[in-house]
Amino acid sequence: MQGILKYVIRRLLQMLLTLFVLITILFFMFRVIPGDPVSMYIEAGLGQEAQQVLLKQYGLDKPLFQQYIIYIKAVFKGDFGISFQYGKPAIQVIGERFWNTLILMITSLSIAFLLGIVGGAILAWKRGTVLESVGIIGALILRCAPVFWTGMIFLSIFAFKFKIFPLGGMNTPGTYFDFQYQKFLSLDFLKHLTLPALTASLYSVATPLLVMRTSMLEVIKEDFIELARAKGLKEWKILFKHAMRNALLPVITVFAVQAGLAIGGIVLVETVFRWPGMGREIVLAVAARDYPVAQTAFFLIGTMTVLFNIIADVLYAYLDPRVTWQ
Amino acid sequence: MDNHNTVLEIKNLKIYYNISEGCVKAVDNVSLQLCRGDVLGLVGESGCGKTTLIKSLLKILPSNAYINGGTANYKGEDIFKMDNSRIQKLRWNEISIISQSAMNALDPVYRVGDQIVEAITEHEKVKKEKAYKRAEKLFDLVGVDRKRLKDYPHQYSGGMKQRAVIAMALALNPEIILADEPTTALDVVVQAQILQRINKLLENYHGSMIMVTHDISVIAQTCNKVAVMYGGKILEFGDKRRIVTSPYHPYTLGLKNAFPSITGEKKSLISIPGNPPDLLVPPHGCIFAPRCPFVKEICKNKSPLPEKVEEGYVSCHRLEEVDKLRYYAEQEKTWLGTSI
Amino acid sequence: MELLKDMMKALKKDKVGMTGLGIFVFFIVIAILSPIISPYDPMELNFDQDGNLKRLEPPSREHLFGTTRMGRDVFSQMIIGSRIALIVGVLSALCVVFIGTNIGLISGYFGGKIDNFIMRIVDIIYGIPFLPFALILVAILGPGIKNIILAIVLITWRNTARVIRSQVLTIKSKTFIEASRISGASDFRIIYKHIAPNVIPLSMVYVSLSMGSAIMTEASLSFLGYGDPTLPSWGKVLYSCYSSQAMFIAWWWMIPPGIAIILLVLSGFLMSRTFEEIANPRLKER
Repeated sequence: MQGILKYVIRRLLQMLLTLFVLITILFFMFRVIPGDPVSMYIEAGLGQEAQQVLLKQYGLDKPLFQQYIIYIKAVFKGDFGISFQYGKPAIQVIGERFWNTLILMITSLSIAFLLGIVGGAILAWKRGTVLESVGIIGALILRCAPVFWTGMIFLSIFAFKFKIFPLGGMNTPGTYFDFQYQKFLSLDFLKHLTLPALTASLYSVATPLLVMRTSMLEVIKEDFIELARAKGLKEWKILFKHAMRNALLPVITVFAVQAGLAIGGIVLVETVFRWPGMGREIVLAVAARDYPVAQTAFFLIGTMTVLFNIIADVLYAYLDPRVTWQ
Repeated sequence: MDNHNTVLEIKNLKIYYNISEGCVKAVDNVSLQLCRGDVLGLVGESGCGKTTLIKSLLKILPSNAYINGGTANYKGEDIFKMDNSRIQKLRWNEISIISQSAMNALDPVYRVGDQIVEAITEHEKVKKEKAYKRAEKLFDLVGVDRKRLKDYPHQYSGGMKQRAVIAMALALNPEIILADEPTTALDVVVQAQILQRINKLLENYHGSMIMVTHDISVIAQTCNKVAVMYGGKILEFGDKRRIVTSPYHPYTLGLKNAFPSITGEKKSLISIPGNPPDLLVPPHGCIFAPRCPFVKEICKNKSPLPEKVEEGYVSCHRLEEVDKLRYYAEQEKTWLGTSI
Repeated sequence: MELLKDMMKALKKDKVGMTGLGIFVFFIVIAILSPIISPYDPMELNFDQDGNLKRLEPPSREHLFGTTRMGRDVFSQMIIGSRIALIVGVLSALCVVFIGTNIGLISGYFGGKIDNFIMRIVDIIYGIPFLPFALILVAILGPGIKNIILAIVLITWRNTARVIRSQVLTIKSKTFIEASRISGASDFRIIYKHIAPNVIPLSMVYVSLSMGSAIMTEASLSFLGYGDPTLPSWGKVLYSCYSSQAMFIAWWWMIPPGIAIILLVLSGFLMSRTFEEIANPRLKER
């Protein structure tokens, strides 16, 4: 246990370094944009003085390096600047979107995990049947299909053609709740969540499914599975209680890696379904050259990515005792 | 054989395996009888089909194995004609198995006690606590500390695992216990201990056992009947005492040489030269002909049918000359190549 | 060169890999012949006899995959799009794996401080969320094929580097490496003459996989509006389809690009499995 704790702390410290590098890269990248971002927000025709005031307000009049120092100091305090588009603090803009993305991610990853495990187990159990072939081909197609395309198809079929689900967004306009969390528990919300969550989950399901299948095929050959059958246990019990339980190990670590990659998919899913999350916001912010918001979104998304990576590494090292704590 | 006492009757059983190169005749026309209370020793080299035969009785053979004919009647019912639900009830409840590799026989992610309880509760309507108490008693029987029930398999030593597996096999008082090389994977000292244990258990046990082994000394210690298997066929079958002291078949004679004498005489060990047959392309005629020091022309062309001898049966063309064969079998030079 | 022959032999035997190769070759042929096969210019607006723009027409004999909202022929766009997909895919894959393999070789071979430093950098790069980063980079530098490839190459080498380094560590401990070192071979020689050939199969795995991921990335960036405006890539077709809000009606516009992407990415994946079996012979039975 001692070793793990030290490892986690070391990784968290590394994470801080990574995030620091991230912020720095971001900062300089945005400031190098051709096309003065300020001019988008300062109407032409405003007098020089008025322009200067606005420049000062956004801190854009100082030399680059000084802006950087001020920026870093501010970030430590949690101040990411004011959004050019909304006029609100960037952190507030992203803060509102953060939970929407988180819920979408957790829902889709949970579905992907369950589908992957059960699907992989069944495919392995039914080796040599048509079901297995169909299942493998299906998994391969899902792995290679662009997630936004899948989203478009779902929208066309289930939202447009059959009108079961809404055409996007997170709520029907005009709905009002007393408390924020109630919003997430309403049927309206769930209806809006379904298609995007399904699309995002299909994006992450293929690799865990295939890994689970491979793992199961190994486990099925084990002596204790033969003995479980000799004991007269029902087939489904052998499958779920004994085979799956043992096959899960490698899948869990693969899954943590997959979760880190899922973030890219979320950006696309949120765009297709106009889901008001961080992913969509970063796309809009970049288009509008609203770099405070874009930076904040990038930073938070980066933090999530790094956290998932750490979880993946720790899980892997914890479950596989052969790995040394380098 | 008293028919009312016959628990298992195998007739002309053929079990083949489908592999890419063709068809392996793992069990080829085997017939056996097991009466209540028998401890049948099934002896032969590895790959002779003993394990296949055993596993077929529980229908736990791999998917590429198939029955190409014959029956296995358990108390009058043909096992191979039983449907899934009947087979599931038969498994462990009426026929249980002590597998060859106890190392891996237990699921590593569950406690040993829970796995024994699982076997019990699957077949009997018993509460978990009661089943657990039974597991404790079973552990007493096999000589493992009750507290170990709460441990995981990897915390057990080899001998302990073997005893746990034996305990589990006894859990439902089955009619037949199949023991597949129960001591092979253990070191000699532990082997002796386990065998002793098994013998003690057999004293109080009213069912039957089929003990599969390649070690004739194990047979000598625990069994009352012996079947000698080679290349998927039964070459000789009969009472243990008779087979161990005065076997008929050249192969059995050879096996007898390969192990230290039971009577304690000092003798150099003589092994049977050559290798077991390729069951993909089995030889014509007698299956032992390629390695038999007593082979004659007829042996190479015609497969001998089982003939009754004393209380058992043997498949050999040279049965009348058995005294001569027994004499020569004891001499080392017989087994060095020249045929007699 | 022997290695190449071995790999070709192994690829031929494996049905899965051959299917992948077949699909890949199919697209290469299409890409090469695209100017000839393509019935129309993909950006050309098509008018019917009355002079009306042939908007959103379903598949017909003149337009095998129908037309877009601007009256452009979808089939031609698909054919020309294969060029971009392959160029981006193959170029990126080769660059990514070249960089990744070399870094992996150096890091794994020298170990110690160099290894630590490089792996530290790799860890940091792993922390950068790929698509958001690519998005920002392309937005800043301007949408264009070169920048898209740059964005891909800057980040995705991390995977290859880690895996190759791992393998180098295993190979390094083998005795023939010791023998070379004792006989006085230079580091450079040992790395490139002795170790590198053994990691090539694994590199090939990542070439095939990276190709697929590069195509996916290009499509994603195009979909977000940052594709090369002059080139009709498959992702760009989907972008037009989506933003013109015609996807609900014009299935012929929406389906083909997706299927094309699936096929090409799939071909990469299938070929990678064969290479994986060469690199790791234990995986034969699956």
